[in-house]
Amino acid sequence: MSGGSSLEKILGSKELLYTLLLLSVILPILHPLGIPVEISQRTRDVYNYIETNLRPGCRVYIEVYYEVAARGELEPNLIALTKHFFDKGCKIVYGSLSAFGVVAFSLFRSMAADLFDGKEYGKDYVYLGYIAGGEAASASLAKSIKGTISVDNYGNRLEDLSLMKEVDKATDFDLVIIVSSGTDIFSYYIRQWYTPYGVPLLFAALSVIAPSIEPFVGAKQAVGMLVGQRSAAEYEVLVGRLGLGIASMDAQSTSHMLIVAFIVIGNAMYWSKRFSAKRGESK
Amino acid sequence: MIGWEVFGAWLCAAMVVWIYSFVYRDNVFYKVAEHMFVGTAAGYSIALALDSLNKVLVSPAVKSPGTFWSTSWHYLVPAILGALMFIKYSRKYYWLARYAVAINIAVGTGLALRTVPIANVVRQITATIVPLWGSDPVKVLNNWILVLITLGGLTYFLFTIFPRRVEGAGASPQHLIYRAFYYIGIYGMMVGFGALFANTIMTRVGFLISIYLIYIQPQAWASIIAAILAAIAIILGILRKR
Repeated sequence: MSGGSSLEKILGSKELLYTLLLLSVILPILHPLGIPVEISQRTRDVYNYIETNLRPGCRVYIEVYYEVAARGELEPNLIALTKHFFDKGCKIVYGSLSAFGVVAFSLFRSMAADLFDGKEYGKDYVYLGYIAGGEAASASLAKSIKGTISVDNYGNRLEDLSLMKEVDKATDFDLVIIVSSGTDIFSYYIRQWYTPYGVPLLFAALSVIAPSIEPFVGAKQAVGMLVGQRSAAEYEVLVGRLGLGIASMDAQSTSHMLIVAFIVIGNAMYWSKRFSAKRGESK
Repeated sequence: MIGWEVFGAWLCAAMVVWIYSFVYRDNVFYKVAEHMFVGTAAGYSIALALDSLNKVLVSPAVKSPGTFWSTSWHYLVPAILGALMFIKYSRKYYWLARYAVAINIAVGTGLALRTVPIANVVRQITATIVPLWGSDPVKVLNNWILVLITLGGLTYFLFTIFPRRVEGAGASPQHLIYRAFYYIGIYGMMVGFGALFANTIMTRVGFLISIYLIYIQPQAWASIIAAILAAIAIILGILRKR
């Protein structure tokens, strides 16, 4: 066996790649490298929008639409945004058009328990729970929340919650945030909340779906977008509550460097093989 | 004493390792974790759907029938339509389910059509009408790229007009322009797919990192156990390969 082909066999082994990937994730977490995180203009724009446009007492609606697997990318965004809203004196209504949003909200609530200290349920924040119906439910909520559902996630009547006396329809909110691991939900809110009522939307999306919803941000149908763990890390720095986002950045950097190295090596081997085959043909 | 929370965290950590073991080889632990996940997810979805029905319809109707009949009686309509969906299991009356499906599709289409032309067509077209000259060279370059790739992408998907090259004659200007935009479209999409692939890697690695941070990293010895389990899986994989 030639040296080249044995090297190709070793580098082509998926076990090697996955083991190195696992190590590149675990080692920087056990021994943080402290690679600096620079705030991107996109994240700063979102932060500045909230700083400039939201006043104490403002009302925001947050759609929690992600499954537990996507927690690592989206929960840090949700925590950082919630902190920012509470710091600004905003009141928050959370809701989920996805059944898994209920679990995601419950985990988020326990991970960010400190943010809710001193906050009164029903007055400062409310969780509506799972609302079945997809786009039809989204349209109905925009028209009237109390006309769509009568109780919150915990069985309290919405009429008895003081925050729900202040808000009922899309135009009662100063900002609507969609924290989602799915693409469809962004279209629902653009079609049923932004287009008919002109409510400003803000997206927090998984990295993998960001390119799909980028056209909506480009068309100014949303005020901005936070993308995955990177944006979460930046936002955590901006709001001064470091968490999972910033903790994962070293591991993200090292694992990406590994993948880039494998892509470069793979391409180099492919082209060298092609050239040597061509040279063999010409001889 | 080990509480349910600790037991749950251990189960979570074990499931992560079992699922991750698939990257080395399909095995019984992976299958157990996979089936547990599918079963739990399906059961949870059904339970939550029933809970939603209970909260919105059954409980208000039973607890305060007066208020329900005066303000919320209309919830009965989707409940009946939903119940009709289950009639498809009857050979005799399965056709009734079609009414529920038809109304569901009609409502969905009506709601979407109300705003789709503005949200998904007009606003996207106006977003590509951008200044192609100006003082900021980076912005101008970005605008050119946006306009050319949009036109290129649209040209690539124009299946009805294809100015073919006449044999023996030189390429016509229409043909050259079409080909230029066609290739801009292809390469633009390739760049898009590359960005999508890179973002996919970021998301998947992010999942791995966060699972590690949440469930394993807080206890150093748990990291060691995870590393030992991974090492066993690798060795077993190599041995089986031989």
